[in-house]
Amino acid sequence: MTPAWKRRLSFTRMGRWYTGLTIGIGLAATNTGNNLLFLVLGLLLASIIVSGILSEQSLRGVRVERRLPSVATAGQPALIGLQARNGKRRAPSFSLEIRERGGDVAGHGFLVLLPAAQSAEVAYRFVPQRRGLHRFEQIEVATRAPFGLFEKSRPMDAPAELVVFPREVPAPPLIGRTLARDGERPEDRIGLGLEVHSLRDHRPGEDARSIHWRSSARAGRLIAVDREQERRKRVCVVLDQRPLRGEALERAVEHAAALVSRELDGGAEVSLALAGAFLPAGSGEAQRYAALRVLALLGAGGDGLGAPEPDAEGSVLQVRG
Amino acid sequence: MPRAPRGLTLLQAQRWAGTLTAAFGFLACAVSGEMGPAMTALFPLAVAGSAVAGRRFHGRMQWGWTVLLVGALLVLGVQVFAGQIDIILAAALFAELLCIHRLWHRRTERDELLLLLLALLLLCAGAALSAEVTFGFAFLAFAVSGTWALALTHLRFAIEEGRGPAGSAALLNSRRVATPALLGGLAALAFFGIAGAALIFLTFPRVTIGGLRRASRPAPIAGLGDRVDLSRHGTVADDPRVILRVRLDPAPRGEPRDLAMHWRARTLSQWTGHGWQSPDGGLIPVLRLPQRPPRGRGVPSVLSADIEVVGQFTDGVVFTPEGWPLGVDFRQPGTPRPAARRLYRNAAGDLFYQPVDSGDVRYSVVADTDEPDPGRVRGRGQRYPSWVEADLAVPASLDARVRALAERLGAGKDPADAAAAIERWLATALRYTRDLPGDVADPIADFLFVRRAGHCELFSSAMVLMLRSLGIPARNVTGYFGGRRTDAGYYAVRAGDAHSWVEVYFPDAGYVRFDPTPASERGSRQEGFQARMVLLWDSLQQRWRAFVVDYDLVSQAQAMRRIGQLLHETGQRLAGKDGGTGRLRRVIAAAGGVLVTASVIAWLRRLRGRARKGQERELTADQRRAAALWRVGRRLLRSAGIEIAVGTTAGELAHRVPAAAGLVRAYAAARWGGRRLPPRVVRATLRELRSGLRASAGRDI
Repeated sequence: MTPAWKRRLSFTRMGRWYTGLTIGIGLAATNTGNNLLFLVLGLLLASIIVSGILSEQSLRGVRVERRLPSVATAGQPALIGLQARNGKRRAPSFSLEIRERGGDVAGHGFLVLLPAAQSAEVAYRFVPQRRGLHRFEQIEVATRAPFGLFEKSRPMDAPAELVVFPREVPAPPLIGRTLARDGERPEDRIGLGLEVHSLRDHRPGEDARSIHWRSSARAGRLIAVDREQERRKRVCVVLDQRPLRGEALERAVEHAAALVSRELDGGAEVSLALAGAFLPAGSGEAQRYAALRVLALLGAGGDGLGAPEPDAEGSVLQVRG
Repeated sequence: MPRAPRGLTLLQAQRWAGTLTAAFGFLACAVSGEMGPAMTALFPLAVAGSAVAGRRFHGRMQWGWTVLLVGALLVLGVQVFAGQIDIILAAALFAELLCIHRLWHRRTERDELLLLLLALLLLCAGAALSAEVTFGFAFLAFAVSGTWALALTHLRFAIEEGRGPAGSAALLNSRRVATPALLGGLAALAFFGIAGAALIFLTFPRVTIGGLRRASRPAPIAGLGDRVDLSRHGTVADDPRVILRVRLDPAPRGEPRDLAMHWRARTLSQWTGHGWQSPDGGLIPVLRLPQRPPRGRGVPSVLSADIEVVGQFTDGVVFTPEGWPLGVDFRQPGTPRPAARRLYRNAAGDLFYQPVDSGDVRYSVVADTDEPDPGRVRGRGQRYPSWVEADLAVPASLDARVRALAERLGAGKDPADAAAAIERWLATALRYTRDLPGDVADPIADFLFVRRAGHCELFSSAMVLMLRSLGIPARNVTGYFGGRRTDAGYYAVRAGDAHSWVEVYFPDAGYVRFDPTPASERGSRQEGFQARMVLLWDSLQQRWRAFVVDYDLVSQAQAMRRIGQLLHETGQRLAGKDGGTGRLRRVIAAAGGVLVTASVIAWLRRLRGRARKGQERELTADQRRAAALWRVGRRLLRSAGIEIAVGTTAGELAHRVPAAAGLVRAYAAARWGGRRLPPRVVRATLRELRSGLRASAGRDI
């Protein structure tokens, strides 16, 4: 845990010149005994002290929270918000640079003014270059106010993680075994689908919409129709990552992610079978998030893992490296 | 339609602040007067040019600038090696040129920062070149504008860096950033800086090595003349410029605003026909001042005058106060270094110093102020030594009427009485005027018999010639009369205080001062606005010198000792060890107690207010009224002896105290039920509660 009093101080370019000149004038004043040079020296030293006090005043009482995006995809820009709050009741904070420190992500935002007891948010653009877990460690609030001579910064612990989904690529052409047609697939039992399963006599009190009027006309009595139970297309994306390394693995993961997205967009229930892991079939955005998260965190290797076990009830889409 | 805000954009404010800083840095140099008219005029022209056409020339003709700067560097280098100018001045001139170059080329952050650093270098050069109070004003202005410049430059480039060129344009061109409030705040910050500078200045150890100290440059000067022409035209000017600054020890009794003191400069004893001139002869070094002729018993009355003569007015003359000078010391008080100047005298006994330079001269004169009055020199006869013959010379062209007048006033009398009679007659029978007689054949006869009015030189000249015509040695003496007390504690003698009087020789007594000018007309009458301003300025300049320029290790030690003493005394008083009853300690303890109690009360009120504010922030007026009703109701119940246990709900209370049912209903309906609760309902509810409580008095719940 970083203590609240911890500060880092560094010179700016102007600060280096300014300090050098101050030392030079101090030497000149001491050498010549010229009181006016002592006066100038006093002004320069006082400015350094005032600068230190005000920069501390700017940093004190400032809290920053990071706001991570719900979804981030490799290669696509994401906005990371930094919400700063000035906890001081009266004193505003000036010229604050808020930046990431120590984690996998570099980014910063700048606030000219943060009024007393108010909040403000800045965001920086982050384009992740790889999928997987991105860790954030600290947020550093820095200021060069008021004179730009020194940069004083205050690190704050703000650990967080962001899972970056695999890069979006076009889905590869189907190479897996297609076990059924695309779209809704009838099952051999009565249900609420569209396809006709069988005809029978209409029972009194039954919904009039179940009457098959043409057959009823032909038979001279009310004939009802039973329709087939239909279920969604079920697809299992299979990726055996064990032999894959490096770029090959990345390409395979990206293809798997593309397949998952395409099938989910097509309305299918998608399951994901990996070496040592299986994501049961599901649909919708929750399933997409879960599948992409599994793919994002998929690591190389895993020689001791068992082979992928595809969903027996679904079409298998095998992804090859 | 909303009005567009007026004022400067951030960009404009930042550029102007940088320009102002450079200008004040330059001003700090220019006030020394050593930069020369050409270089002094160049800077404002360059600033104006850069403001008008700087952007158009940015980045162009770089080779021309480079050639110009290198050429200037070479010329200045040659001048330094040739001894024509010193290296500090050369550095200041070159820094000015660099500053001008930067003013014409300002685009990047580097340009702006370089400009500020060059302005700082100019300020430092100014500190080396000038010791005047005008530097102090330039310094203060630099401190304020420098604070603006540093802060706004930082802000400008931080915005550019943080938001990028496109994102920052709107903010940099906004007139809502560099508002008077921001500039005022930064100026206040500058004054904190100045206060800090003063503190550091006061406490920074004054241990100096003393190398590379810049010596003042000798220059020919003009000052007190060695001749007087009585036939001038015009009017005697009331020149308000300060020429002497004097501190007397002991201070004059009552420390009067105007000092009645003759400051003797030199003797003019040779009559020229139209005036006087100083006697011929060279200067001889003085190892020891002549002894005063023996006089009666009594302790001599010694006066020490610490005199500072403004350089422009010295002419090598040593001014002495009234009385017999016993010693002149050129050493600075508190410094062990031997004096750089030596004392000389001429045949008339006037004192001089050498070498003469352009700077102010400071020395102290100790004098025996016990001057013999005419009564004490009476009866000493008229046997004069040969060396006073020059003071007996009467011009052949002296008007017979002058001689006749002298005889009428002094013939047959003792020389002391004759001198006193002539002095009295001149002071009472003739009128003082500052109008000069103009070109007249005999200015003395014209003064005595035609105009019967004149200025001090005519009064003293007439008396000298009249005494000489009676065979009494006398001479004309010039100097100054008076001195105006200043706020800084010294007496200022001004150029308009120039005066002339008479010294008469008496055997075994030496020269005795007589002043025939009417007493009320001696010295100047400088009461005008200009004279006051001049005095104020001089006073300011003296304070600047005393507290800033001359602040050294000795002053620092004294200041520290004084602060330590003050703290010690305060501590003693607080501890009650100062012999008193420790009243101060009790007062401070009481004040502290009151302060602590007030702070605690304020803190508790604040906490309570904050808690209530937090609770009631979102309440409507009816809900707030309901809360107030509930508080008053509880108080009434408590005063009726009905204690409400912690955790008792409103419903329970209504059940146990039927009289409170109306209160509970009204409270709950308004506080939680969204019903209205007008003040009249509040009043009615409380009335109902009171009457119910009265009816059920004595019942416990």
